[in-house]
Amino acid sequence: MVQINLPKNSKVQKGKFYKDKTGSKNIRKVNIYRWDPSSGENPRIDTYEVDMDNCPSKVLDLLNKIKNEIDPSIAYRRSCAHGVCGSCAMNMDGKNGLACTKPHKEIKGDINIYPLPHLKVQKDLIGDLSTLYKQYESVEPWLKVSKKDGHKENLQSIEDRSKLDGLYECIMCACCSTSCPSYWWNGDKYLGPAVLLQAYRWIIDSRDEDRKERLKKVADELKLYRCHTIMNCTNACPKGLNPAKAIASIKKMLATG
Amino acid sequence: MTDKNPISPHIQIYNWHISSLISISHRITGIINIIIVTFIFFWVAFLLLGNSNYELVQKFFEGYFGKFLIIGTVWSFSFQILSEIRHMFWDLGFGFELKTSNITGLLVIFGSLFLTIFIFILGRSLFI
Repeated sequence: MVQINLPKNSKVQKGKFYKDKTGSKNIRKVNIYRWDPSSGENPRIDTYEVDMDNCPSKVLDLLNKIKNEIDPSIAYRRSCAHGVCGSCAMNMDGKNGLACTKPHKEIKGDINIYPLPHLKVQKDLIGDLSTLYKQYESVEPWLKVSKKDGHKENLQSIEDRSKLDGLYECIMCACCSTSCPSYWWNGDKYLGPAVLLQAYRWIIDSRDEDRKERLKKVADELKLYRCHTIMNCTNACPKGLNPAKAIASIKKMLATG
Repeated sequence: MTDKNPISPHIQIYNWHISSLISISHRITGIINIIIVTFIFFWVAFLLLGNSNYELVQKFFEGYFGKFLIIGTVWSFSFQILSEIRHMFWDLGFGFELKTSNITGLLVIFGSLFLTIFIFILGRSLFI
């Protein structure tokens, strides 16, 4: 259901202010969404003054600096720091992206950091993605071949292989799905751009023998057709992929048979 | 997850893009258009009931609110049509690149303004 306003327990309050202690002249304010599950309080926005003279270039570096030098209690996911694992997906400056590939120089004014939108928050910048993973599982993201050829090499022409370009690069960071208003309002039923792009990746694979079943499964008023081409997904994708186009391709395949 | 966990802010903090802005406007103008078409039917029925009504309607449309209503109607229909054409190209599988979709988006916005002025002036010179 469309619920524009946040529920009572999700209303964001003003939080603490951490004044700069280094005496640096190059200071930026960083506003970070905080929620502590043990406190029972509403989420709040803490503001940190950060010395930018001694801070590397990316938003993740900025977060690490705050965690190491100012406030160790702040929680966020991160792993590879090179835009490959997708752990540090979050909302920076009103747009989803990977903290490890987003330069803070690109952000004008105060730096606002929130968790990925419209998720249940586990702590601070960590959102709960279990619904998305369950939906991912539902599209059966693995190659399906009949058993008798199971031991033979499964060849694919260069042309067929190139159909997977722009799809296989997806790292499932959920930036696209959580940027989609349709997914915000119908996240429990609509599969969302990330999962639909993955579904298309298996539908279009020339080696897969389950195309018809896959298409039949995804052809659903809620699962697929909640996409209204808002294009927030393509705008958000940190890998430069195009989920909107993948979804349209599924719709086109269904329409043209 | 329990109900205790808050929901992270969404529409409150997310930036508007050209595409998302047009998408929501497309829906709103769609609803407005249905209401307008209904009113046009009432208008026609009203005129059929006698020619004294004609003057009343004429007076209403000559006022500021009447003019605003006409211009708004023309814009709403222009926007809806152009945006729908954009959607039809999408349905054919074209125009998904970010750059293309931004350009077509701007075309819809400025095209609808241009069409509004064009149709309004054309209508005035034809019927008055």
